[in-house]
Amino acid sequence: MAKSLSKERQKQQRISKFTSFLFVLPYLTLFSLFLLFPLIYGIYISFHDYNLLAVTHNFIGLENYVDIFTPDTSLNTQFFRGLKNTLQFVVYSVPLLVIVGLSLALLLNNLPKRLTGFFRTLYFIPYAISVSVVSVIFLWILDTNSGLINKYIMEWGGTAIPWLTRQPYAWIAIVIATLWWTIGFNMIIFINALNEVPDDLYEAASIDGASAWDKFRHITIPTIKPITLFVTITSTIASFNIYGQPHLMTRGGPGNSTEVLLMGIVRRAFEQRELGQASAMAILMSLLMITVSVVQFRLANGKKRGES
Amino acid sequence: MRKKKEIVLTILAIIIALIFMVPLFWMIMTSFKNDFEAIAGGLNWIPKEFTFENYIYTLQQTTEVPVFRWLFNSLFVGIAGTLIIVTVDAMAAYGIARLDVPFKKFLFPMFISTLMIPFVITFLPLYMQFSNMNLLNTYGALIFPYTANAFGVFLLYQFFKSFPKELEEAAYLDGANKWKIFIKVVLPSSKSIIWTLAIFSFMQIYNDFLWPLVATRSPEMRTLTTGIAVMQQGSFVSSYGKLMALTTLATIPILIVFLIGQKQLIKGITQTGIK
Repeated sequence: MAKSLSKERQKQQRISKFTSFLFVLPYLTLFSLFLLFPLIYGIYISFHDYNLLAVTHNFIGLENYVDIFTPDTSLNTQFFRGLKNTLQFVVYSVPLLVIVGLSLALLLNNLPKRLTGFFRTLYFIPYAISVSVVSVIFLWILDTNSGLINKYIMEWGGTAIPWLTRQPYAWIAIVIATLWWTIGFNMIIFINALNEVPDDLYEAASIDGASAWDKFRHITIPTIKPITLFVTITSTIASFNIYGQPHLMTRGGPGNSTEVLLMGIVRRAFEQRELGQASAMAILMSLLMITVSVVQFRLANGKKRGES
Repeated sequence: MRKKKEIVLTILAIIIALIFMVPLFWMIMTSFKNDFEAIAGGLNWIPKEFTFENYIYTLQQTTEVPVFRWLFNSLFVGIAGTLIIVTVDAMAAYGIARLDVPFKKFLFPMFISTLMIPFVITFLPLYMQFSNMNLLNTYGALIFPYTANAFGVFLLYQFFKSFPKELEEAAYLDGANKWKIFIKVVLPSSKSIIWTLAIFSFMQIYNDFLWPLVATRSPEMRTLTTGIAVMQQGSFVSSYGKLMALTTLATIPILIVFLIGQKQLIKGITQTGIK
């Protein structure tokens, strides 16, 4: 009697687990087909001599990876050129994305309350636009002969600046377009972080006669530190993934100086048609990105522990 | 003193707002200029000769610029992808947060750990996968890769975890089963967070560039973002008036979605930002 009861319960539990599993099954299927499988398949491809036009694709082990690290192979040149250019963009863009984002948030927070929402929307609008529209607009504004900026420069007696065809202007152009496009996202995160700084901290500091700068340095900055780190990590990842702006604005030029890593991977895959090599490049790039974000994250948590 | 500071800051905010709006204003104004005026015409913020010819051309030359087809593709792919994401993510997140899903101690960390994996690692194998199945250049190729993203599962999981148990328990006592509770009790109380996920997903798919660029070849399967890129490097390369008419048309739908869904979007950004 007791035995059959527990069997009955077991059966019920199994049915219950099964119906619960049905909730996860659709996502699990999509996840397996379009994330897990390609992940493994990508590693598989990277171990093969995988030319898109060839009929057979031989297993070559780590050769693609070895080639990337063998000096003076074309693969080595393309990978490290791309890496160098991507890292340049990360170094130029991330500090601006963080500092300008925070500055705009500070500005909005100190405006009269009824104006905050209006300006927040205006600064945030470019975030809704696609990268191809952003690039086309800035191509046109920065055009050497008839762009808006150069028209003004020439009107005031200057000489036209080749924004998209000479360095360092090409990087400046790409960074400006990127800032305009994505800064609203970081600004929103910072606005929220600033709102969560407890008011009584500021009040106590005012009573002690602290200046606005003192309050910013000793109250605001320490309180928003975790969020600043989060913004730094997400901005770094986003900047690593840069593709559309140089693809459309400079096409990697002048002289490959803005051929970023992702662009190198796409060219390796669809121009040289060497998918195995491109996959090896992609995997190395991903490992690098994961490492950078883990290091940044560790750094943050380590510091937090040190403070308490 | 305080008043003075507010005035100074407001003026600063207006100047920055103008800087933010100049590129969009210039885009719209250029779209109403003829080609000659666009290229030659000096510092003309407002077109001297206001013309609709760029819009008429862009909308009429449907073999050269299939704008309506691209708009349809972008909207269809965005809406279908969003519907799938919202449905499967809500189910999975609820299952893991509240139900006795087997292996959930293993499944959930596996989903979440993929949030760290950048798209660059999967887009080439995805290309091969769809190419092997002869499914490049189809709506399936443009939709399904987005549906595997674990972001929504993570976002909704956090919400369902803190959802009050009492509501579900009352329904259980009334004899409702899991599905009924999920559809009748849980979903109606999660509208706000689901809208947040929907707007995020729609904007991501509608605006995505690299994947639709490699996954489509024929002009009629392009999305607006990739179509613009093709025109910019193709037959519109020297006609900025027409190009700006095209980008203006492409921006209107997403701007409407953005302005309507802004509150939800901000909520989503701040919620993920805190964790």
